[in-house]
Amino acid sequence: MPLREFRNENNANNAGNANNASNEFILLRSKFRHFTISPFRYLFYMEKLLVPMICKVDKVIQETPDIRTYRLNFREEGLMENFTWLPGQFVEFSLLGSGECTFCIASSVTRKGYFDCSIKKAGVVTADIHTSLEEGDDVGIRGPFGNWFPLEDIKGKNVLFVGGGIGLAPLRSLIQYCIDNRGDYNDFTILYGARTSADMCYKDEIKEWQDNKTLNVVLTIDKPEETWTTNVGVVPKILEEVVKPEIENTKVITCGPPIMIKYTIQSLLKLGFADRDIITTLEMKMQCGLGKCGRCNIGSTYVCKDGPVFTNEQLKGLPDEF
Amino acid sequence: MSFSTFVTDKPGLQKFYEAVLASHETYAPAEKFGKFDFKLVSRISECDPESPIAKTQSIKPLFFPRSAKVMKYVATSAGTDVSEVDEDPLAVKRIIIGAKHCDARSLQVLDKVYNWDYIDTDYQKRRENTVIISTRCDKADTHCFCTSLDYDVENLDAMDVLVVNGAEGKIYLRARTEKGETFLKENFSQQLAVGSEQSEVGSRHSAEEEMKKQYAAFAESFRLKMNYKEVNERLSKIFDTPEFEKVSANCVSCNTCAFICPTCHCFKISDEKVKDTGLRYKSYDSCNNGYFTLMAGGHNPRPAKYRRWRQRAMHKFVYYKERFGENLCVGCGKCTIACPVNISIFEVVNQVASAGIQE
Amino acid sequence: MNYTKQIQDIAAKLFAEGKIDVFVGYRVNGFDDNQVPALITDPQDVPKLVFTDKSVFNLVNYLKSEHTRRKRVGLVVKGCDSRSLNLMLTESQVKRENLYVIGICCEGVVDETGQKMQNCVECAVPDAVVSDELLGTPMSGSLTLTYRVNADIAKLSEMPLTERAAYFEEVFENCIRCNACRHSCPLCYCAKCCIDQETATLYNGANTTSSAFHALMTWSLHLAGRCVDCRNCEKACPSHLPLHLLHKQNESVIYENFQEHLAGVIPEDRGAFYKYSLKDPDDFIM
Repeated sequence: MPLREFRNENNANNAGNANNASNEFILLRSKFRHFTISPFRYLFYMEKLLVPMICKVDKVIQETPDIRTYRLNFREEGLMENFTWLPGQFVEFSLLGSGECTFCIASSVTRKGYFDCSIKKAGVVTADIHTSLEEGDDVGIRGPFGNWFPLEDIKGKNVLFVGGGIGLAPLRSLIQYCIDNRGDYNDFTILYGARTSADMCYKDEIKEWQDNKTLNVVLTIDKPEETWTTNVGVVPKILEEVVKPEIENTKVITCGPPIMIKYTIQSLLKLGFADRDIITTLEMKMQCGLGKCGRCNIGSTYVCKDGPVFTNEQLKGLPDEF
Repeated sequence: MSFSTFVTDKPGLQKFYEAVLASHETYAPAEKFGKFDFKLVSRISECDPESPIAKTQSIKPLFFPRSAKVMKYVATSAGTDVSEVDEDPLAVKRIIIGAKHCDARSLQVLDKVYNWDYIDTDYQKRRENTVIISTRCDKADTHCFCTSLDYDVENLDAMDVLVVNGAEGKIYLRARTEKGETFLKENFSQQLAVGSEQSEVGSRHSAEEEMKKQYAAFAESFRLKMNYKEVNERLSKIFDTPEFEKVSANCVSCNTCAFICPTCHCFKISDEKVKDTGLRYKSYDSCNNGYFTLMAGGHNPRPAKYRRWRQRAMHKFVYYKERFGENLCVGCGKCTIACPVNISIFEVVNQVASAGIQE
Repeated sequence: MNYTKQIQDIAAKLFAEGKIDVFVGYRVNGFDDNQVPALITDPQDVPKLVFTDKSVFNLVNYLKSEHTRRKRVGLVVKGCDSRSLNLMLTESQVKRENLYVIGICCEGVVDETGQKMQNCVECAVPDAVVSDELLGTPMSGSLTLTYRVNADIAKLSEMPLTERAAYFEEVFENCIRCNACRHSCPLCYCAKCCIDQETATLYNGANTTSSAFHALMTWSLHLAGRCVDCRNCEKACPSHLPLHLLHKQNESVIYENFQEHLAGVIPEDRGAFYKYSLKDPDDFIM
């Protein structure tokens, strides 16, 4: 059963990491509680994980009319240097007084001194964030939680990123990470689609990527626009018609709206990709991030602990409830 | 390791309870509006340690409060100050009198989820500081089905002290855990003991014999019986059966079953803000609630009632077992009694499982 | 009171003629002789239907369920149920042409202990006011359709204020905020309710005594002038809270000030809260 295998594998992974980590724990005394950060850079233990740490908003970037990127830094000195995460992990972001939301970290740990969260206005709390959270304000952060993209697996391989809309955020963390460790990877393709050109996030950064000779960037929008000179069409179509990825030795990492992921996976399978080479991150409602509150249950899997990154092979073993 | 057993009689037990009530913070079923809830009591007359199962709420709120303060924050000009809120009962030693078998068992089941990966320290502290005294059930209620599940009801050691009503008015107080052992030794005064001519080992043996004798009659009194292994196996194979739609048709989508259930542990986090200060609460939530998985963009993986019911039944009987090795339902039947339309989880899983055979 | 035979016959006939998609009635719950609602879509299940004095639940509640939405529904209603149905019709929640209503001239239903329920003892409208077919002998003629002082309310209003406050504090303290009251009320049909924890806007979603107070008070005010005293909420409450007190108190205030009584008896009557006139008294507002 794929599900069980996956869990064992995951547990084995965790156990291995914990062993590594226990060799040299760094103990850091904070004002509120002590927590330890492993050299493995993800394992992060606090006594009361439901209490957030306070972060300051350093910068607000209005990406699109309804997406904002918040650049955050810990209020307390010395925390940022020790706050480590891997691409694909998420944090619980609380606008104090309004509520808590789950967002993935949109920047890479290799870019020191800050971390980014990109937030799309969708519900009550995110609308509050957009209207009231400005530079210099405080937010609560818990995390990082969840698993991460299989960095070891994609080493030495071609990597194809397929993103749609706000779904570029978790990919951006990995793309930055890969760019900063460029030597570890082969060919790089980024396919990014949005409804309109105005709905594209990280426009400046995409320009940087386009200027980078070692990256192949393909952009698309859903409907034609006057100023738009390149591809027009939905992501799966462009994937099949324009990108035409190599199947051998390639890993695909995709994230976007549920409907886009569904059709992208279909066309990837049509192109001949194996299930285990398709990696995606799931969106599920979460509240604790600790495998306790039960919201993110899909079958016996806790998305907050076993996910949010899954291969298509693992997804096939889950009940159809995501 | 075997623990000690003390013998007393009815007045002796009353006196023992009174002594415990006087010296410890004690929670016992107290009646209010015709329903027994575990409340802080100071006199034995305020509570009924042998309250009927059907009318008694579970002890879950004592470990996982209906609403717990997680943290408070104060926004000042210099920045926001966040601090933990420590709920008072955490450090105080507490005694629970009158817990049922299923209540005690539910904590054993909950331990699994609270202790995997991240350890819930609040729960853990409450657990460590609480001694559970449970009276052995002698008769099943209409909706009980604990004997049909995956745990050994006869030799259950989830409670710390077990009270067994023996023949000839004898009452045995049996320690079941080390915590219970120390508690009994400290609090059971030998003046209350009867039949002192018996040796320690002798009384343990007679208690065990008594329990064995009683158990047969107790197991016989169950109206609801099922083959757990079969049900579990079948349920794990029939995710897509239309039967869930039928069994959930008259569910009114309230949260009662989950809030009453001794093992349901889903919660939500909500904020309360007054000017610059605020509190964050962690309170019960239920998967039967339509908002439970509704995401900000409007996407809901479980929009229909039958999907939510399937999640509830499967989580109890399949998923949790798969993940943590225990069945999440302890068979107390409290949800059926509390349900506005008497939907019985026993009936639901059996009906779905048997529909699986017909297909 | 036993209309099992008649209801089974009517349901079978309706299914045979293809007039309905789903029939909402009662069946025996399978473990004791109490009854639970049954939503029947298969004509083969018709023999399961029963109707006796244990048919307590107000079935109009299911008209807001996803199982009956946009379907032709056969429905059994007692006197109080029919009043809530009348309100649902007035408030445009259901279409009359989609319903086939079997009205019962109710002689009162009993609770689990076998005693006649208190609201049935006080009932002023035992006959169904909306029906396509009426079972039993109508007796409304011998009753006056008027407001009656509830015994509990009379007792409460004699209590000193502090005692009353203490009593209600106990009520709210025992509330576990499961919202069974709101979900089993036929007239709480809002998809997004202000007392649901997730969409609560007026107060915190936590299960504290103060939020229970706010939730239950808001809820009872939304039902002021609409409550038909079917006691679905009270029967549903897992903590056995005396919720009818809130509604009955509202009813008495509305009766005293607006001379409105008995919600849902007159078709198209929108009740005190929907009507406004300059002559409306306002001195009872604090």
